[in-house]
Amino acid sequence: MEEIMEAPLPGKILSVDVKAGSAVDEGDMICTLEAMKMENPILAPIKGTVKEIVVEAGSTVQTGDKIAVIES
Amino acid sequence: MSEVTGGTTAERMEEWQKRREHILAQGGEKAIEKRHAKGQMSARERLEYFFDPGTFSEIGMWVRNRTTAFGLDKADIPAEGIVTGFGKVNGRDVVAGAEDFTSMMGTFGEYHGKKLSTAIDFAKDKGWPFVTLNDSAGARLQEGMDTLESYGWTFHSQIQASGIIPQISLLMGPCLGGQAYHPVMMDFVIQTRETGFMGIAGPAFVKTQTGEKISLEELSGWRSHAVKSGQTHIVAEDDKDCLDKCKELLSFFPSNNKERPPRIECSDDPEREIPEFDTLIPDEPTKPYNMYPLIKKVVDNGHFVEIFKDYAKSAICGFARMNGRPVGIVSNQPLVMAGVLDINACDKLARFIRFCDLFNIPLVSLTDCPAYMIGSQQDWNGILRHGAKLLYSWADASVPMIGIMIRKSFAGAHYGMLDKSIGADFIYAWPTARVTIVGADTAASIIFAREIRESENPKETQAARIKEFSEMYESPYQAAQRGYIDDIIWPHDTRKLINRSLDVLDKKWERDFFARPWRKYSNINL
Repeated sequence: MEEIMEAPLPGKILSVDVKAGSAVDEGDMICTLEAMKMENPILAPIKGTVKEIVVEAGSTVQTGDKIAVIES
Repeated sequence: MSEVTGGTTAERMEEWQKRREHILAQGGEKAIEKRHAKGQMSARERLEYFFDPGTFSEIGMWVRNRTTAFGLDKADIPAEGIVTGFGKVNGRDVVAGAEDFTSMMGTFGEYHGKKLSTAIDFAKDKGWPFVTLNDSAGARLQEGMDTLESYGWTFHSQIQASGIIPQISLLMGPCLGGQAYHPVMMDFVIQTRETGFMGIAGPAFVKTQTGEKISLEELSGWRSHAVKSGQTHIVAEDDKDCLDKCKELLSFFPSNNKERPPRIECSDDPEREIPEFDTLIPDEPTKPYNMYPLIKKVVDNGHFVEIFKDYAKSAICGFARMNGRPVGIVSNQPLVMAGVLDINACDKLARFIRFCDLFNIPLVSLTDCPAYMIGSQQDWNGILRHGAKLLYSWADASVPMIGIMIRKSFAGAHYGMLDKSIGADFIYAWPTARVTIVGADTAASIIFAREIRESENPKETQAARIKEFSEMYESPYQAAQRGYIDDIIWPHDTRKLINRSLDVLDKKWERDFFARPWRKYSNINL
């Protein structure tokens, strides 16, 4: 199964916590998105492996932009 | 009259018993065994589990279809595929209708619908909650117009009962097609994870009409409605869990809109202090924290029954008790999308607030909300119209309303999450609250735009002006000085002050509503 993670709101990526190939548990931090003056933790929705990470620190994202793909 | 047998009293009793047993057997042993194999109960087993032992009285057991077309004259559909009646749930009267999938797949025909709408009318008339156990393959097409019309009777009955009695739908099996307007128009939908399906059309119909290929699970399963569409309020694991969750929900509600929600004995000190609240809020306003533990510490015994848990997660709502009184909790989740009010969060909270108001359940808001969500995507989809639902809900409500401003209470979200101007009876703020028209950085960059632009050191000037605005306004003090905040409190006193306020407002529900000028209803932005 593949879970495509999308930006829940428009903002700037502050930091990325994983790399392609990283193993993640459900709830692990994928990246931090600064939006609405808050640091929003973006968490893995499922346990699996990071197949793809599209953003980097400093990236600007719009709602629905792909952030990462997690494969279980 | 050919069906009525002659004969002795004994013969007539025997005939009656035979007929009765046939109906009680539903679709027969084999069909019921098949359900058991899938972990599902029959309609009658569900009702037996739902009601207090021995309290269920059935109405309309003998009703049958009258259409003769397409072999229906010979069809055997015990109880018309829906068992209706009344009984006690934890000692309180409740009316229910349970669709029986083993009897012609629970299809919705003329008299199936008539039984359902009659049961709803009965519940409304008595002032008792109504619960539907949905489990039907859909419309009984063989009956043509008669089936179509009975949908309408059901919709009309439930809408007429809306706001008079609590109505809950238990989506334990499929409910697809126009029939699905029935569950969706109830106050609450509890959907069973593996077996509950709801939608305007099933996968086969979608494929022939639009070419879209999609599975039943993906199109109509729990994720579609509990996560995506916001039409399922609670997800249940199986039949028993679904019925248990319904009973629990009913325990918070009055039987009808003229009664008060049942208050229970409280074993949790109403004045209990919560010392950890004094150090809970992060120093940086940009850092999130989890709102759930905070809610659980405020309410009686940490018991919180969440509504729409998996939908619009930047907002939180659900039922709890305060000093034994049922209350509706409305809050934000700083961990998700900064706790912002977007379109879906507004819809979620507005519907919850209006239910609580209809059924005399006091409302408590715990606020940390930066704003209504901005941007083209939200504006083009009507954030103003959806945000307005929240404002209407608060301003129209006549139940006790108490707000705690924990951290951010900015701009439109200030009244969107309840303040004095929109109708709160009491507003308390923590010293960590930031209650003002807009955050300092935005405000300073607008007010002092020219000064910053023309300054020799724009960054320094900007920082100085932000600091100035923040110190002047990003606090609870200006609002408290004007009386918009009743008190700035020790966070550890939060539970105590909510309970004292609820005591003061105990009689509010009897008074305020009737003092209003007459109108049909407000023109809420639907």
